[in-house]
Formats: sequence, C-alpha cells, structure tokens
Amino acid sequence: MSRLIEAEGFTNRVLGWDAWLDVVQLADASAEQITVLEESHPKAKESDYYLFLVHQPEILRQRSAAFNAIMYAPGGLSRAERELASTVVSRVNGCVYCASVHAQRFEQLAKRDDVIEQVFNDPATAGTSPREKAIVQASIDLTLTPGHVAPAQLQALRDVGLSDDEMLDLIHSIAIFAWANRLMLNLGEPTD
Amino acid sequence: MTDTYDPSADIVDRIAGLTPGSATHATRHRRDKVAAATQRSYEALLDPALPDLSLRDRLLVALYACRLSKAPALAAHYAERLAAAGVDRASIEQIDQGSIDAQEPRLRAMLSFTRTLIERPIEGDRAALERLQAAGIPTPAVVALAQLIAFLSYQIRLVAGMAALQALNIREAA
Repeated sequence: MSRLIEAEGFTNRVLGWDAWLDVVQLADASAEQITVLEESHPKAKESDYYLFLVHQPEILRQRSAAFNAIMYAPGGLSRAERELASTVVSRVNGCVYCASVHAQRFEQLAKRDDVIEQVFNDPATAGTSPREKAIVQASIDLTLTPGHVAPAQLQALRDVGLSDDEMLDLIHSIAIFAWANRLMLNLGEPTD
Repeated sequence: MTDTYDPSADIVDRIAGLTPGSATHATRHRRDKVAAATQRSYEALLDPALPDLSLRDRLLVALYACRLSKAPALAAHYAERLAAAGVDRASIEQIDQGSIDAQEPRLRAMLSFTRTLIERPIEGDRAALERLQAAGIPTPAVVALAQLIAFLSYQIRLVAGMAALQALNIREAA
C-alpha cells in the first residue's frame, strides 16, 4: 500500500547497508556481544551495522539504550513526529539509508506520506501544517548550527503548542540522529 | 558493565546549567532512561581501560569536535579534563585553536577523521577508514573512535537544546 517516493537521491524504498571494514562473525562473538545484539534490535544478528558496532559491546549497549528510549518511549511527542524529525535530520545530513528507514516508520505510524515527499524534495519548505513546519525547521537548525540555538527558536515550537516534554523528545530525536547518521555515513554504505 | 547512574554527577546537566528543583531539570529527568544511557555512553567512551586509543587522544578528539561545533562550554569541560589528566598545555592550546598540524601522525589521522565527521559527515568513505588502519588503529578502536565523535555530535546538540529550553522557561516565568 505504500507509495514509492524518490527525489534528490533519497528514497522510501527498503535498502541494505554494508560495512567497509571487518564485522564480528556470530560464531566468534562473546556471550556479552550476543546479549548486546539481542538488546539492540530484533534483527541485529543479521545486520552489518550492528555486527560492526558490536566490536565495542558496552558502547553499543549504551547507544542502543539511548536510541530505543528516545524513539519508542510512550507519552510526550508522538512517535510519528519523532520519526519526522529523524527523517529531516537524515535528509539534511545526506544519510540516504537512515532517511529511508525513518520515512517508512513515519508512514506506518502516520498513515500518510505527503510530508515525506516534501522533506525529500526540499526540507526548508516542508511541513503540511504550522506545527509540522516548526518541527521541521527546529530539526534543520539544531542539526546545522548547534552553536547558535536561541530560545527564540524554541519559542516557535511553543507558539504551535509544544509542551516542555514534547520539546525534550524533539531535541532528543534530533540529537540522536546527529549520532546515528555519522555512523551510517562513515562506516559503510547503503546497498539495493 | 557500568549500570550505576548518579544524577548529581550528570555531565549534560552540569554543562547546560540544569539544577535539581528547576523545571527544565525535572523535564529532562522524566526521560531518565535517556539521561542514564547518555551519561553511561560518556563514561564508556572515555573509559581509561579502553585499549588502543589513549584517554589523552580521546579527550583531544572531544575538545577538537566541540571547538569545530562552536560549543564553548563543552570544549571548556574537555580542556579541563585534559589538564587534570596532566596533558601538556601546548597540545591543549593547539587543538583548542583548531590547529592539528603539529600532532604526531596517528593522532593527526584521528583528528582529521574527527573534522570530516563533525563538519561534512556525507564525505565519509572507505579510504578514510583505511587511513586510520594504516596509522595503526585496529578495527575495534576505529569503532570506538567513530562512536566517540558521533556521540559528541549528539551531546553538543543535547546540551545546546537543554540550555535553550531552560532559557525559554526562565523567560516565560519572568
């Protein structure tokens, strides 16, 4: 039922990802590495990304704890809006793989894809409502100029109704993709 | 494994200026799983026992990342940690001014990788990882280095966002 969207090199198609250096082989993995893979993602044992990061199991364990708590915790900013922020950050950073995954998650949660097409085409003008536009703009600003975050930028979010708890979730969703995009972009590449 | 979390020692709270009892501190700690995992990530990435990357080199990478990102409060934190670890003043000052040319080749390769990840993450490529390996950094240490720089990108934005939220709260209360 989902519609293929491709623009400016971005896509909502399902992509793979290959690491550029040697990944941990499951047969050689320690008990700690297996445990961390199982905690990180349901398909981590088949994923080059997790099999590469599990070279440092404790670091991956804490990263996954932060990521999963930010993206999946109940309450606060809707999960669809967190996925929208993640997609915008990935689009701005040029992470085709992350943009694809989180565009798909947004579509599953929101049951629509209009704003995804806008984000792929031009994030600066994307958003189907004042609230969405403010979320998109905050995602661009905190991604590109973290040294210039002013209260006025958050005031724009307040003006469209975001509570402090929602703003915290938005800041977390933007910041965690500064982390995720850099790993995906610099340790390997997407595959068809 | 590090499963302890002491909110009174939280680095993001300290650098962003969030004090217990304030509205913004309370907001942040309603997502305490995130706060704990953020603090534990910081501790794991700067664990002195991590092999093949000295704590000195990792702290210099952190200082350089904060300098490039225009995050002065966090840069000051990493500069303080470097001084406390007995790292020579000249090295700290050179990195703090954004100059990496005087460093030895292994550290220079790490700092050059830091600059790409911080400023132009889209320009990452296989050759950059191979240069790290050629500089004597084995694969698990490449993972630790990439995780450190990527974490710093997160920490810098989290601190900036929380400080701005606190400023908004103070303005609204006035």
